[in-house]
Amino acid sequence: MSVNPMAYEAQFFGFTPQTCMLRVYIAFQDYLFEMMLVVETVILKKLDGFPGCKISPCQIRKSTEKFLLFMKEHFDKLFSKMEEVLLQLVLNIPENVLLPEDKVHEQYPYTKEEFQALQDEIQQLQQQYRAEASAGQALQAELEEQKAVQAELEKILQWFDGLDNICREHGTSNFKESFAFLTQNSKKLQDVLKDVEEKSKKIKKHDQLL
Amino acid sequence: SGSDGDPSVPAALGRAQVFAAVVDTFLEKLVTAGSYQRFANCYRCFYKLQPEMTRSIYDQFVSQLQTSIKEEIQEVKDEGNLEVLFNSLDKMVEEAKDHKEPAWRPSGIPEEDVRSAMVPYLLKHRSYLRKVLKEKEEENRKVAESVLAGRDRIAELQQLIQARKLAWQ
Repeated sequence: MSVNPMAYEAQFFGFTPQTCMLRVYIAFQDYLFEMMLVVETVILKKLDGFPGCKISPCQIRKSTEKFLLFMKEHFDKLFSKMEEVLLQLVLNIPENVLLPEDKVHEQYPYTKEEFQALQDEIQQLQQQYRAEASAGQALQAELEEQKAVQAELEKILQWFDGLDNICREHGTSNFKESFAFLTQNSKKLQDVLKDVEEKSKKIKKHDQLL
Repeated sequence: SGSDGDPSVPAALGRAQVFAAVVDTFLEKLVTAGSYQRFANCYRCFYKLQPEMTRSIYDQFVSQLQTSIKEEIQEVKDEGNLEVLFNSLDKMVEEAKDHKEPAWRPSGIPEEDVRSAMVPYLLKHRSYLRKVLKEKEEENRKVAESVLAGRDRIAELQQLIQARKLAWQ
């Protein structure tokens, strides 16, 4: 005889059906014994009112035991039947019934592998997101840099435009040419100076050797 | 409960009714077994002495026993909130009547069982990640476009400056 632990029923009812039945059995039995004791006590008391009678308390005790034994036998048989019906029809959850709190297990019957695959996918997505986020940061940083550089370059351009305007205002378009002439000349001067320096170095060397 | 099924199946009645009926039957049969004849027979000497008293004592015994048993049953029902549970279980049974295969039961291994419970959260998390990833990719695409445009602009400015420089030399 295999014992059905009725764990699923216990999950639903909050108690094990067998435990409930046992509690009830003990309670009923206690009442039966209690009532019998009361009966006996009452009878004995009534007998006290009949001082002449020949009935001894011992006889009464025997009667009580007889009746109680008989009752107990029937009580056990009847209770056993009742327990069977209750455990099968009332305090049970049919095999095809799923408790609402367990619905997820029917909706998402994932195997170990499927579950692992899902976890892996999530991890991959997290990595991809992190990569995108740092790429985004790098792009933003460059954008900021570009703004600064653009601002500088535009300033320089404005300065040039400013120069052009000055020339135009003062009607010296030649200013540009003469400035260009000057820079060229100063470049030429620099070249000449360099030449002279080199030549004088050479002369000094010659002097030393001599 | 008025189901359209078999009238002969006792489970067509609600569990609460079956419970009450079964307890009543138990009491009835017990009292029948412990009949007055049986009682008087056991307490024969007293019965001979005081038949009326015997009857009265027996009646009280039966009545008190029934009351105590019924009270105990009511206590069990109240403590366990059984009335509500029975009705709700009846409803679940009714709703599952087209579901022929055995339903899921806890495997006894918590790691196995908790998997399915976690799946809905993981699925939510996955769809959230997909969404924000897509948004981030889109955002980056736009910023990348701006960066490229910015580089072109800088190159353009540099060219303009170079041109001006040349003009002044």
